[in-house]
Amino acid sequence: MRKARTRWRIAILILVLALAAAACSEGESVDVGDETTAAPAETTEAPAETTEAPAETTEAPAETTEAPAAANILIAAQGSEPDQLDPHMTSAYASFQVLENVYDTLVQPAADLSMEPALAESWVISDDNLTWTFTLRDGVKFHNGRDLVADDVVYSFERIIAEGLNGWRFGSVESVTAPDDSTVVITLTRPSPNLLVSIAGFKGMAIIPKEIVDDGSIGTSPVGTGPFRFVSQSPDEGIVLEKNPDYWRASEGLPKLDGIRFVQIPDAGTKLTALRTGEVHWIDAVPPQDIESLSGEAGVTVGRVPGGDYHYFALNQNRTPFDDVRVRQAIAHAINREEITEAAQFGAATANQTAIPASNAAWYYSYAPFGSGDTATAQGLLDDAGVSGLTIDFLVTSDFPETVTQAQVIAAELAAVGVTVEITDVDFSTWLDMEANGEFDAFMLSWIGNIDPDDFYYAQHHSEGGFNFQGYSNSEVDSLLDAGRVETDQAARKALYDQAAQIIVDEASYIYLYNPDNINAWRDEVGGYMTRGDNAIRFEETFLQ
Amino acid sequence: MSGFLVRRILQMLLALLGVSIVVFALMHLVPGDPVRVALGTRFDQDLYDALRERVGLDKPLIQQYFSWLGSAITGDLGVSFRNGQPVTTLIMERLPATITLALAALFIALVVALPAGIISAVRSGTGLDYTVSAASQVGISMPDFWAGVMYILLFSLTLGWLPSSGFAPFGDGIVEWARHLILPALTIGLISGSIITRFVRSAVLEALNQDYVLTARAKGLSEWQVVRRHVLPNAWIPIVTVVGLQLGFLLGGVVVTEVIFAWPGLGRLALTAVKDRDFTVLQGAVLYIAFMFLAINLIVDIIYARLDPRVRVS
Amino acid sequence: MSDHLDDRLAAKPVSRTRETLQTLMANKLAVAGLIALTILVFVGIFGETIAPYGINEIDIPNRLTGPSGTHWFGTDDLGRDVFSRVIVAARVSLQVGFIAVGFALVVGVPIGLVAGYYRGGIDSFLMRMMDVLFSFPAILLAIAILAVLGPGVGNAMIAIGLVYTPIFARITRGSVLVVSEEVYVRAARSIGAGNRRIIARHILPNVMAPIIVQTTLSLAFAILSEAALSFLGLGVQPPNPAWGRMLAEGRNFFQQAPWMGIFPGLAILVTVMAFNFVGDGLRDALDPKQKSVIESRGQSV
Repeated sequence: MRKARTRWRIAILILVLALAAAACSEGESVDVGDETTAAPAETTEAPAETTEAPAETTEAPAETTEAPAAANILIAAQGSEPDQLDPHMTSAYASFQVLENVYDTLVQPAADLSMEPALAESWVISDDNLTWTFTLRDGVKFHNGRDLVADDVVYSFERIIAEGLNGWRFGSVESVTAPDDSTVVITLTRPSPNLLVSIAGFKGMAIIPKEIVDDGSIGTSPVGTGPFRFVSQSPDEGIVLEKNPDYWRASEGLPKLDGIRFVQIPDAGTKLTALRTGEVHWIDAVPPQDIESLSGEAGVTVGRVPGGDYHYFALNQNRTPFDDVRVRQAIAHAINREEITEAAQFGAATANQTAIPASNAAWYYSYAPFGSGDTATAQGLLDDAGVSGLTIDFLVTSDFPETVTQAQVIAAELAAVGVTVEITDVDFSTWLDMEANGEFDAFMLSWIGNIDPDDFYYAQHHSEGGFNFQGYSNSEVDSLLDAGRVETDQAARKALYDQAAQIIVDEASYIYLYNPDNINAWRDEVGGYMTRGDNAIRFEETFLQ
Repeated sequence: MSGFLVRRILQMLLALLGVSIVVFALMHLVPGDPVRVALGTRFDQDLYDALRERVGLDKPLIQQYFSWLGSAITGDLGVSFRNGQPVTTLIMERLPATITLALAALFIALVVALPAGIISAVRSGTGLDYTVSAASQVGISMPDFWAGVMYILLFSLTLGWLPSSGFAPFGDGIVEWARHLILPALTIGLISGSIITRFVRSAVLEALNQDYVLTARAKGLSEWQVVRRHVLPNAWIPIVTVVGLQLGFLLGGVVVTEVIFAWPGLGRLALTAVKDRDFTVLQGAVLYIAFMFLAINLIVDIIYARLDPRVRVS
Repeated sequence: MSDHLDDRLAAKPVSRTRETLQTLMANKLAVAGLIALTILVFVGIFGETIAPYGINEIDIPNRLTGPSGTHWFGTDDLGRDVFSRVIVAARVSLQVGFIAVGFALVVGVPIGLVAGYYRGGIDSFLMRMMDVLFSFPAILLAIAILAVLGPGVGNAMIAIGLVYTPIFARITRGSVLVVSEEVYVRAARSIGAGNRRIIARHILPNVMAPIIVQTTLSLAFAILSEAALSFLGLGVQPPNPAWGRMLAEGRNFFQQAPWMGIFPGLAILVTVMAFNFVGDGLRDALDPKQKSVIESRGQSV
């Protein structure tokens, strides 16, 4: 929904890509086939398998007694309503929470966010890094019973490129072809180390059957290849999914649940209560102020992992005096990130002066040039710039309430250097409009789930970037980011991004605040679920005991 | 009477036309549009233009309005920008929950308001009257979101008696249906009840001061007989009016209460439509809500005319 | 000569004013309401001077602390003093009430006067317009207007005011219809007084009673409307405190810090009760037969 939401999938893609790229750069073809990935996959599956026994025992009586199916149906509460169920046309995180369990992508982010086989069981990269050949898994069926063939992949990608929201992810793709039913060939115009993350990092890149586009049902009754089949959607019942017995991991006993019911509970407090009273099994987020008390509560588990998200604000460099780098740096010095983090997230986040979190070990770059509430330095910079009595029109949205909280803390902090912050709190639709039209001195939001540095920096800070609403332009950063896109050597690539990050942070294109943790919570009877670093909600290994 | 009816129905249609123009104008004046929202924060002019063209937003406003109006007259309210579903379907599937909540809330309101209002009028100036008055003031001053949260914390979390959220269709069994209904109905029912109490009290008070009541008392009828035979029949008109107005509002969906209790009613549909700039859904929902409001007003006026023939003349 | 007669005819409401005040002062609840309102207005004017802390003094280490000697009403999620914020918020909340209702008065009453006095086509036209506004779901109307005008307390007042406008137009029109038939209006007409003069000197003073009553009641509802809009994130812009916004924010901390919501909630309760007491008192004093059923409208915003 917010940029962040759509981005997290990209990030994952990028990680995968990066790993693949690292391997490719050796000049060898990569075959991340079943054998290669089997090891990591098994380690993550092991706990799930041990718990399978009880799951099966509960299933048996259910079947014999024809007990209400509810016995093995997970009720998952979402904080917002899916706008539509067409994976190529939605940008709502709530939709992806559902679609994650219905659709598959060519490859997918594993729990450690490396890219693992999904519908493609292996792929080979040519020596010039410009041709990627994917081999599809045998015997994958869509929920309508039809076999998945390579033409479906071609069709899906072509649809995304022609009319989907994520066509831009195929920027380096020249063509997608299907020489036979189980082979997909992607040719590129330039080496793209992050290709896998780009084309399969999240379910916005789902492989769909053409027939549901032709009959117009894709937006309301999705048909995928994933662990669960879509059954129905209604305001009363929410979204009902049932087990897909033909799932391509069925031989592993997956999925374990008979079904999932996604219910929408817009009020965060009510949603939390519904979990605590056992009305629902799982909730997608916990208000930060409740994490501590909830963590100690019997019957409830809080899943919390460092996420790939980051929160930031940006000053409008198309307006004076924010075009003066000293003014931006002064503000970056004057704020106290630890205080902001504590205020907004109650400790469930880590202050950071760059974008990439420490948990993203491959790309993390430790760099912190700014002080913490350093008003002396800030005042000096403002004096140098000859700026006094500055007023900042700060654009936030109540639809993401943490932005309102953070802006109030920042307002108090900047008052110490004589800067007045006037908060403009609008609904998100208006916010988007004002951001795109440059109607702000500063705006604040977050990006979710990025993995590859290209996703962290390119669109936001390249002078041609699609999200560069703050008007940052630095030719050195542009060339570093361009070079990073095609550099296939991991170490060299990291060096490029480190340099770019340093300039971006120094020049305060974005003023980074912190990386929040990803948090879900569930009843103790839920097993086999884990909160993921990319915020993807996967229930294929989940069971109720 | 039939002339009166025809005139009123024509006026109602005119008002609905006006409502549709206001919604249309408002929604196209607001910043943001459904395509912008669908795109999220990634803004790409070409994609934006293409999507606008696909949903017909690129056409001149007047043309958009008349093409909408043309279909609306035939009963086709268009499809949602958000998910392509027919607007009539979206509204119809929310009607059971909306109507259930409205009637249950009104029921609670009347159960509270009629006795409380009558007693406080009959015993006006006593401690009982002041108690009722104070309680109704609290009820009126209490924002619904605050009341709702307190009920959830008390009855769901602490006592565990009732579920905190959702709607169970009647078909799922009357017990589940009632358990889900009680808290949201209580939240708005008590607020509505507080308002209605004030009107019942003043209506009864006024009727009590009429000459025929004095006469009746003089005849030696007991106080309750007086109330039943002479006061209530004359207090009905203002009470029916305010009850009709309340029902009109409740049937339009109660946005805040629906949000708190995750109640799948029209209020949430309309709120989401505003937030996502889903013009067609908003247009349809508002027209429905306005229709309910006007229709109930009309029915109230007809009842009014039955109760008091003089109304017909004016 | 005609002027003289005209003035005598208009004299009637003047003597009524004193009588009304006397009746009002005899009503204990109304007097209590008046006293409470006087205090509230005083607090609204001098709030920043009275408040022991600045409204934006953030103190994260001392957040969510309960009421104590240092913080009478406790602190909120950012460590700000709830007492100070409740005090200072009085101004904005009262402003919302007064300006929104003032707007509705200034727009609605003339519409009602014109419609009721001239009748015919203009009456139909104006009242159908009011029907449109009136049948529009109030909170959605307010939200849409706010989206068009942009956020901010000023625009919130206009939005709430617009929602209440049809109520005043209807009430005024209804009373004008009755008053126009009164002897003194006919007399004024017969001696050739102009329409404007008749409206200003004879009609308006005699339809003030229901309008005044409706005004006090609407003030109470307008303050609640700000709370509802704030709940949906559309009210007063932060960090400025308003009771509705504080109450809406406090809801998220009900379990950790109930004082965040209870005190602004009590402030709303006291204010609404005060306005209602005065309104009831005025109703009894001015027009005991008043049946302003339309007031029930307010709650749904």
